[in-house]
Amino acid sequence: MAGVGATMGRVRDRVEAGSSGMPFRVKLGLVYTGIAILLVLVFFWFQFDIAFMREWGPFILGGIPLTLAICFGGIALAMVLALFGALGRLSKSALARGIANFYVSFVRGTPLVVQILFIYFALPQLAFKPSSPAFLQTIFIFPVAFAAILALGINYGAYMTEIFRAGIQAVGGGQIEAAHALGMTDAQTTRRVVLPQAVRVIIPPTGNEFIAMLKDSALIGIAASGVELFGRAQNTGLGQNRPFEALALAAMVYWLLTSIFSFFQKRLENRISRGHVRIEGGGH
Amino acid sequence: MAEPIIKIENLEKHFGDLQVLRGVSLDVEPGEVIVIFGRSGSGKSTLLRCVNFLEDPTGGCIEVDGVRMEAAPRALRARREQIRQIRMKAGMVFQDFNLFPHLSVIENLIEAPCIVKKEPKADAREFGLQLLDKVGLAEKADEYPIRLSGGQKQRVAIARALCMRPKIMLFDEPTSALDPELVAEVLEVIRDLAREGMTMMVVTHEMGFAREVASRMVFLHEGKVLEEGKPADLISGARDERTRRFLEAVL
Repeated sequence: MAGVGATMGRVRDRVEAGSSGMPFRVKLGLVYTGIAILLVLVFFWFQFDIAFMREWGPFILGGIPLTLAICFGGIALAMVLALFGALGRLSKSALARGIANFYVSFVRGTPLVVQILFIYFALPQLAFKPSSPAFLQTIFIFPVAFAAILALGINYGAYMTEIFRAGIQAVGGGQIEAAHALGMTDAQTTRRVVLPQAVRVIIPPTGNEFIAMLKDSALIGIAASGVELFGRAQNTGLGQNRPFEALALAAMVYWLLTSIFSFFQKRLENRISRGHVRIEGGGH
Repeated sequence: MAEPIIKIENLEKHFGDLQVLRGVSLDVEPGEVIVIFGRSGSGKSTLLRCVNFLEDPTGGCIEVDGVRMEAAPRALRARREQIRQIRMKAGMVFQDFNLFPHLSVIENLIEAPCIVKKEPKADAREFGLQLLDKVGLAEKADEYPIRLSGGQKQRVAIARALCMRPKIMLFDEPTSALDPELVAEVLEVIRDLAREGMTMMVVTHEMGFAREVASRMVFLHEGKVLEEGKPADLISGARDERTRRFLEAVL
């Protein structure tokens, strides 16, 4: 109502007047400090169970190396699949293009959690059907971490196909003509002209995909409880009746991980655009 | 009469239903500078691009420095080695420069000699620096193309083509994408090349330049050679009405 609005306006005016000497960044820092203090107060008010933390904290945190390993493996697999997917979608061969299109459409069209559970539970079921050949029992039963890498890699590969395709197509066609006019073969042109430039376009979005995968890796915990960070947090939190402590810890760790990688991601993006659009000036 | 270094015999090219070249025949002798002119859509660029098979001719025959190839549409892959031979003899300069942005200027120059002809890097670098000096850009050897002006980029492109030691040079509207004040420096380089006796085919709108440098001018009209002759002859009195009209409009 008008009265509240006017009061808020006056409060804002006074806050602004009182703090007008401070640079914006300092004010921002104060806000962050305030939020941190608020969080600490919340933990104290709700009697955050330190004893639980001391006993089970290490076990939960022990999931971090696995989370990272799964994500590094997953992004590597995703990049390989994305490269083939992109080449397939750009291919003149109907077979290659058909397979690539199907892969992208199906994997992007189904939820990640369904894909994860499929690999963890549906495939073993198929392996043990009476009509199934024995070798499926070795192929369809994966070690837990391996299955995670497979699920995340296949899923992210379908999304990253677009990134790789855009990167390859970003290289101007005129350059390919120039390379051919100079006598370079298709293979030489791809290797020396297209890919080096495509890589520069592909790496920044790939970094972002990795950061997203760090969070998606938590879904593995739905299928396998003792492996990575979230799975362990969920398991101990529910088992010891301390879901708040366990999940708050996990959330903080994910936040820390994504923040660290985002920081390096920005630095990488700055370095990559060295020979490219960012440099202005020159002899006009 | 020397043996022509470029022979174009009854060249035909159509894109689907569109017939762009309807039987072009042209012989170019070593050291000649042929300027091809005509309206947009007359087939000038297509003609040039057929010489080094960037376009796949649908009829006729191309011979460059003794390497002869009949048109065989859609058989490009099978004949790629021969096409490569022709391309190594023909240097091409494009309207849009097409430099490799991820390589420095000198790296642009030595890329093809090292990768295609397996020249030792040091030798290629030495020759490359000489060429850069020739086009007046020796001090830009380690710069990246993004930092160069259009005229500088085109001069680098010319040096890059020359670094493969071609027998002939093909210029596809080399100054059409340049700001007017940058055109002169590029024409200067092309003029020098002509003086040194390089065989060249140039597609251009710069008629003043053509008059000065061309040994022969060829007027292309609707996919055929309508008229050709020495610049002085064509400009003072072309035989065909259409040639006269075009020249009047551009000069």
